[in-house]
Amino acid sequence: MNVELDALNEALKAVSSLRSCVGNFFLSLSQGVRSEHGEDHRETKYILELQDLVAEISSNMRKVEQTCSSIPLPPDGQINLGNTAHLAHETTQDRQALYSELVGSYKWTDKLHEISNITFGFLAQNVMKRSYNSYLNSSGMNAKRRRLTPSCHNVPISSVETVITAIDRQYQDMNMNVYRPHPSNCHNLQIQVSLGRILRAVISFRGMMIEWVKVKAYNEEFQTDNGQLGQLDLWTNSRHHVFRKITENANAAMLHFYSPTLPDLAVRSFMTWLHSFRSLFTDTCRRCGNHLLCAMPPTWRDFRTLEAFHEDCKP
Amino acid sequence: MAMAQQTVNTAIDSLTAALKSNIIPNQEYFLQGSILDSSVEVLLHRLRGLCDNVDTNLETFHDHEMCFSIRGPNNTQPLQLRVRRSLDHNGMPMQLRYIGQPEIGDKSRPTVLRNSIDIGTSNTVVEFLTELGCRKDFEYSAKGYMFRKGRMKITVFKVFKIDETRKMMSSGGFDALSPLTHSYLVELSVLAPSGQDAIADDMRCFAEQLRPLVQLEKIDYKRLVHGP
Amino acid sequence: MGVTILLSYPVPENKTGPQTVDLLIKRIGALGAVQSGQFLVDCETFSSGPTMGGPPRTVHVLHNSEQPAAVFALLESPGPPPKTVPLVADGLFDLLMLKMSSIYASKKQTRMEARGTRFEIADFLVKIGTVTMSSNFKGVLVEVEYRPCFIAGNCWELMREFMQSFLGSVVQNTPPPYFQVHNRLNDVYQPLDTIQQYLDHFASYRKVAGL
Repeated sequence: MNVELDALNEALKAVSSLRSCVGNFFLSLSQGVRSEHGEDHRETKYILELQDLVAEISSNMRKVEQTCSSIPLPPDGQINLGNTAHLAHETTQDRQALYSELVGSYKWTDKLHEISNITFGFLAQNVMKRSYNSYLNSSGMNAKRRRLTPSCHNVPISSVETVITAIDRQYQDMNMNVYRPHPSNCHNLQIQVSLGRILRAVISFRGMMIEWVKVKAYNEEFQTDNGQLGQLDLWTNSRHHVFRKITENANAAMLHFYSPTLPDLAVRSFMTWLHSFRSLFTDTCRRCGNHLLCAMPPTWRDFRTLEAFHEDCKP
Repeated sequence: MAMAQQTVNTAIDSLTAALKSNIIPNQEYFLQGSILDSSVEVLLHRLRGLCDNVDTNLETFHDHEMCFSIRGPNNTQPLQLRVRRSLDHNGMPMQLRYIGQPEIGDKSRPTVLRNSIDIGTSNTVVEFLTELGCRKDFEYSAKGYMFRKGRMKITVFKVFKIDETRKMMSSGGFDALSPLTHSYLVELSVLAPSGQDAIADDMRCFAEQLRPLVQLEKIDYKRLVHGP
Repeated sequence: MGVTILLSYPVPENKTGPQTVDLLIKRIGALGAVQSGQFLVDCETFSSGPTMGGPPRTVHVLHNSEQPAAVFALLESPGPPPKTVPLVADGLFDLLMLKMSSIYASKKQTRMEARGTRFEIADFLVKIGTVTMSSNFKGVLVEVEYRPCFIAGNCWELMREFMQSFLGSVVQNTPPPYFQVHNRLNDVYQPLDTIQQYLDHFASYRKVAGL
């Protein structure tokens, strides 16, 4: 049995080396005359190389034939393939339980298709894409201006700081601290806003573009505990329902105000909107006139008029 | 309410339970010694080699300590209370500390043992104690270094007088310090629940390693008071 | 912690304390509140003996299960001028009071306790509990905390609306007297403020009892 296996291995090796030198031959043939063949007698050299390769192939071929002949045939005329022989068995569908799985995945794919269609339709109606092209496409502007690429993410950090300082000065009860979490990265900037004694927010900028907003209570910290100064915690949610809702609305507002042509106006409008939360706990809802609905204060501010509404009362 | 209620224990109940299971560190084992200013550098080097917090820089502290006492009825031994606040870190909780009479014990006991209760408090504690009827006996500021070795705390510090006039002028900022002596006080102490005497032997071993730079000993205050 | 308002809910003539509590629990449940554990606020009072000289001084030591690691002590000093000195300390302060028992003795019969159930509804935390003095029923207290806000003046109207929705006319239209002194409406709310409100209510229950 052992002898038989060794011979079989030998034969397999011979086959693979035959295949590899046939491969070499075709490689060489497909590349044609190359620079290694020099200037003089290039064709001759090339033909010689091919001849060598063909000679190698024939010697390998001989080796395969030899090893094949040396494999002793088993007495019953069949080579024992071990467990692999069972691969072809069990093909009846019932025993593999494939059918139900297939139905399941078909349904799933169908649903996915359906949902993505709905999503596509929905997103097409509400333009939330931040790329300039689609913006203009939808408003049907001419093709020439369409080629302009958005550049507001590429504004130097100093001019962003200027805008922020100006906004900071504009509001007495809104303070802003600028952090640069990655001093080597010249476009990333984070600001921490504290609005009166009502809330705190962290806003992450890429150039003049607002990337991320998180709103928390006045006493919740953004500084991370791991001692890295200037690193703000952008991810942990507020403990309070109110501020989690406002975070959601702030991200909607950030997308709403986004304007590729006037990036600083977008930032200004967003800050004006955020500033309207200074009366979060004192405002009554414009529609129902109450402070509370479902034990929540009015967390929605109209983008244009800044009027306060409850989540379920908003127009 | 129909549902099963798990009741909240009163704070006193949980404290009693903690006392019973003996997990409150209410005893202090300690040794004291002193070293001249000129040799303190050598001691600091040795301590940095021996102690756990070697990876960071020397850990310094600057505290203001006030000692209060309150007299009970029938002229019993007054209760001693100390308030400590950090001058380096403003806004940290202040520490209120009750210290019992030190027990020197016989030769076989390696360290002095005294009762102690350490309580973190808000910064109203001085006014609270004053209104409670405590009298401020004395105050000083201590500035120096602290080390840690397992559960042991080693402090090397200098005691300074508090200049009353200056304190008035610069509320709490003690810029010009006048030292009381030309030496540093060295204290080796462990706070532990009662009955953990094994730690005292560890402390003696550690004290041995600091000889002959500094002799950490059991200091008998009573002998000092009644001395010649 | 957020602004907290503590109200004493009068027990109607024909009802017992537990019945009143059940009624309130039903009402808050109807608003969609979810039960979340129990709470306990206790208060022990110590006073100085005659050996101290002068009028007696009183120390109230309070614990709140919401701040389980803290002990709140309020010292009523006769002065002059009379004042209350608060102290927030960690749990071992109770041990110190035991050490001082020869100077400040505990008045066991005036030990007060408010104990009951906590409820959460959105950002509100509502505690409904009964007050007992050395295990005698004294009344019903309702504590309402609005956790996201720290300035009482900012959220009083909002809290009033919430409290009136389940306590009805028991809630006055003006902020409770505790907030109307010392500019407390515009200060940042501290856990100590809750403790002082409890102490005020405990004191008035004691007064009714004539102690």
